[in-house]
Amino acid sequence: MKKWISLMAIASISAAALAGCSGGSSGNGNASANPSSSSSAAPSDSEPAGKSSGKPVELTFWGDWSGEGQKQFETMVDAFNKSQDRIKVKYVLQQDMITKFLTAATSGGSPDILFWDRWRTSLYAPKNVLHPLDEFLAKDGVSKDDFYGEALKELTYKDQLYGLPLTVDARALFYNKKLLADAGVANPPTNWQELEDAAIKTTKWNGSKLQVAGFSLGDAGLFNMYLQQAGGTMLTDDGKTNFNNDKGKAVLDYWDRLLNQDKVYKIGFEQGLGESTDAFATGKLAMTYNGPWMLTTYKKYGKDLDFGVVPPPAGPNGDKGSVMGGFGLVIPEGSKHQQEAWEFIKWWTANKDNALLWAKTSLNIPGFKPAIEDAFFQDDPFWKPFLETLEIAKIRPTHPGYSVMEGDALIPNVQLFQQSKQSAEDTLKKAQQQGDKLLQDNAVVK
Amino acid sequence: MASISKLNRHQARTAYLFISPTILLFVIFTVVPVVMAFYFSFTNYDVVKNRDWVNFDNYKRLLHDDLYWTTFKNVAYYTVIFVPLNILISLGIAMLLNFRRLGVRLFRTMNYMPTLTSAVAAATVWVWLLHPEYGLVNTLLGYAGITGPAWLAQTETAMLSIILVTLWQSIGSNMIIYIAGLQGVPDYLYESAKLDGANALQRFRYITWPQLRPTTFLVSTMSIIGALQLFDQAFVLTQGGPGNVTKTPVYLIYQQGFNQLQMGYASAQAFILALAILIFSIVNMRVNKSEESVV
Repeated sequence: MKKWISLMAIASISAAALAGCSGGSSGNGNASANPSSSSSAAPSDSEPAGKSSGKPVELTFWGDWSGEGQKQFETMVDAFNKSQDRIKVKYVLQQDMITKFLTAATSGGSPDILFWDRWRTSLYAPKNVLHPLDEFLAKDGVSKDDFYGEALKELTYKDQLYGLPLTVDARALFYNKKLLADAGVANPPTNWQELEDAAIKTTKWNGSKLQVAGFSLGDAGLFNMYLQQAGGTMLTDDGKTNFNNDKGKAVLDYWDRLLNQDKVYKIGFEQGLGESTDAFATGKLAMTYNGPWMLTTYKKYGKDLDFGVVPPPAGPNGDKGSVMGGFGLVIPEGSKHQQEAWEFIKWWTANKDNALLWAKTSLNIPGFKPAIEDAFFQDDPFWKPFLETLEIAKIRPTHPGYSVMEGDALIPNVQLFQQSKQSAEDTLKKAQQQGDKLLQDNAVVK
Repeated sequence: MASISKLNRHQARTAYLFISPTILLFVIFTVVPVVMAFYFSFTNYDVVKNRDWVNFDNYKRLLHDDLYWTTFKNVAYYTVIFVPLNILISLGIAMLLNFRRLGVRLFRTMNYMPTLTSAVAAATVWVWLLHPEYGLVNTLLGYAGITGPAWLAQTETAMLSIILVTLWQSIGSNMIIYIAGLQGVPDYLYESAKLDGANALQRFRYITWPQLRPTTFLVSTMSIIGALQLFDQAFVLTQGGPGNVTKTPVYLIYQQGFNQLQMGYASAQAFILALAILIFSIVNMRVNKSEESVV
């Protein structure tokens, strides 16, 4: 008897534990009994709602930026609301936006505009929860050529466009001018060889303690970028890994040289250094790859940090490469006011003045190219190198299993390689085998 | 006779009435989701569109999912080291602080403090403490002439660091449970043992430890469950790296379910995890059973 009671207790505890991790799924399950009903009803609703003048149409805009980002969004929303009186947009902060959207997409209560991490498009577009924008673009004569093509590619699934790019970013090389000058490096590096030389010269060891690292090798996730510089690509056209070859080997050999022979870095050197103790900002790191989002932080240091930015150095055969990322705006299929939502998106992302206002407010590079022509970007020594980088930058492959392949197969194996736990050949082979399997397992999105 | 059974029936009815709110909540928020998750584990459920029956496809895929079994190996390693240490240290501290002396409460409070901190905030501080060049831990080691490792970045020490941080955070609450258990041990047992000439070690072995059996069972079961569900500290401290050595099943379940929209497969993963928890707990129960109480 007693035994049974305790067995029952264990069973219920583990069951409760289980509910903890899968509760979200089943909770949503109740709501998704009729997944397509809300989406199919939406388009017919939107037309009459737009015409009923007098009272403005209220739109909900979801995003997961809080604090400064929320203020920047609200600045844009306010400006839009003031610019006309038919549509009124409201920004709603959703900390756990994607999870919330999953429920909302099927159970009604869907927002009208969604702030969108673009790489998710290949996962969500096949599920019919996003509304294609091609008709809107054609009707209003918005030209795709005005946007960064790579960013549009990331928002496209099966030749249909699901959003417009709001921001674009790519990593470029930040260098500490003082550290380079002190080490006798006259010009910032333009290729791998110069980068290695400059890193060796700027590195300072004190016994077993690394005082100044010449170049950051902390992020194994930048493999993609280096592979492009070596002239390779991450995936083949038919969706398989494409780095187990001499291009991938070139990247690993280069890293191995920097890390284990030249000793310009130490694994874990930057881990846990927050913004206030950032290794580059405090002069403990001479060169590092970073994105335009760090400009504001580094500029705050003023005279204490004399730094510059150059496009990523080219690889051994002169190939250039960087990875483009960024955000977009999309319209959920469940929105009841898709026409009005489109007008808001168009106003924000496809208008030179507004895109520029957004750029100046948030200090992001907008996805709308005419806005980039402004002196705000063209005459600024910090923005210029990023604009040059964006010209050569490529998005991550849009395979739905790509992020899993990178995070669970490639990076772990590269980390083992960096710590001399396995050879370059084994690393590439294992990453290929595991990566191809993950790509395959996560490929089916219906 | 009739009146007694009538009284019994009345009491039974009242009892059911009293437990019904709890049972109702338990059914709605635990039983129903678990049953639904079990159902979903046989479908290709993706939250938004599909929910078709796929038989055992998810479980078949699970068998060949090397990464999933790697994460199981990781948490098994974690559990085997974490649980015994957790019991040992919290019992030790509980025995140290189980006196009625001035200032003891202050020490109890101080030992309990880490438990009150949010797991993520505490982990963030530890990342800094464990920094290879500027962290407190390696600075102290440096005074002793030792070059400390890059705790969180090296494959050898990453999991140990996580064990260290989670231990620091969980012994406080277990210490409280043990203090309560220790205070429930009747004094006359110690008195008679002393009269029989038992020394301190014998008193612990034959009185304290057997008397604490239910407490140890509670503490060990809870830590096993917590250990197998390790997620937030590991995520903040190492993000599953380096080389996958600190990735955990819950991390994968979250990734498959919410990032990859494969909720059906994630449910299957979750069920295997629940099964593992059940097995570990039964083993734990058996181990506790074998330690029969002498009193």
